[in-house]
Amino acid sequence: MATDSSSLADSEFNRPKVSLMALLGAFVRLGMATFGGGVQAWVHHDIVVKRGWLDEKEFLSGLTVAQVLPGANPVNIALYVGMRLRGGVGGTIAVLGMVIPAFCVILVLGYLYRTYGHFEIVHFVLAGMAAAAVGATLQMGIKVAARLPRNVMAPVVAGVCFAVVGILRWPMVPVVAVAAPVSIAWAFVLERKARNDR
Amino acid sequence: MIDSRLFGLILVFAPLSIFSFGGGQAIVPAIQNQAVAVHGWLSDPQFADLFAISRAAPGPSSLICALIGWQVYGFWGAVVATLAIYLPSSVVVFFAAGWWQRNEASPVRMAIERGLAPIAVGLIFAGAVTVLRAAHAGALGLATVVVVTGLLYFTKVGAYALMGSVALIYLGIHEAMPLMGG
Repeated sequence: MATDSSSLADSEFNRPKVSLMALLGAFVRLGMATFGGGVQAWVHHDIVVKRGWLDEKEFLSGLTVAQVLPGANPVNIALYVGMRLRGGVGGTIAVLGMVIPAFCVILVLGYLYRTYGHFEIVHFVLAGMAAAAVGATLQMGIKVAARLPRNVMAPVVAGVCFAVVGILRWPMVPVVAVAAPVSIAWAFVLERKARNDR
Repeated sequence: MIDSRLFGLILVFAPLSIFSFGGGQAIVPAIQNQAVAVHGWLSDPQFADLFAISRAAPGPSSLICALIGWQVYGFWGAVVATLAIYLPSSVVVFFAAGWWQRNEASPVRMAIERGLAPIAVGLIFAGAVTVLRAAHAGALGLATVVVVTGLLYFTKVGAYALMGSVALIYLGIHEAMPLMGG
């Protein structure tokens, strides 16, 4: 892989150029298909398996980047794939494809909610769907928690963040602004100790 | 001159965008806190309703910000809130993605990944509690959460099919309630 350029798009030369229209079409379809999470499975199937635009390794490496850096995963994955294939313009096109149609749909749903939301039955059914969505959130949380490293740090940091934001309702931004550097420094120290022990 | 309510949307959502480590699920408690408690743009039950809509709709669930923006300032509120929640984090990814991939073995990168992951987990669980509190979930709501979590965790049933089924079951319960004298 070429490392002399900072642009992701320049790193592969032997790939057929994907047209911007094809990129837009792919992500419009993906944006409409990714209900309730699970976006990575859809993107993987479409971009890697079906179209062969990226290989497994590139995709997995991008997935890590999309999950670690801030931002919604579907948007970050679209940005990464688009940048990888067609640079900054490609990234922008892929994100717009992912967001704009979904934005239009959600405004229509919001309009229906404004029109019919005062009916008690609408609120009752939505409360059930909110509970189901919380179930999906918990399942995802459990899966991510199971992948955390087995050390003292991970449960302490996760537990403190949960308690102060979830129970005590402290605002998230200052909590993360303090917790992130502390947690990263802690992870760095643990990592260095583990390396020295080896 | 930009309207102060539009400016308020930017001031709320742009910082959440930058701090959304762990994706859209991790900022749910912060969205509720800002939109309901701090700014009073919505009530708690409205927030829970919009959360359900955003999770049932296609696309990123963080589009709940568009619904909140619309509530505050109509169509342009929705546009501004959507830009504010996606643009700042996208700029970070745009500039950081290259470094990230070139430094696969860097101890700094490893420490950032390992340090941020437990924060995301804590915030995701905080989001679950936040929504349940906002929805004033009772026994039926909590039972739904437990059953859905279990089915998703132990079976291969899809989240979207499950959400549709729950909506139908709730519709049935609602229709049956007068018959049961509820």
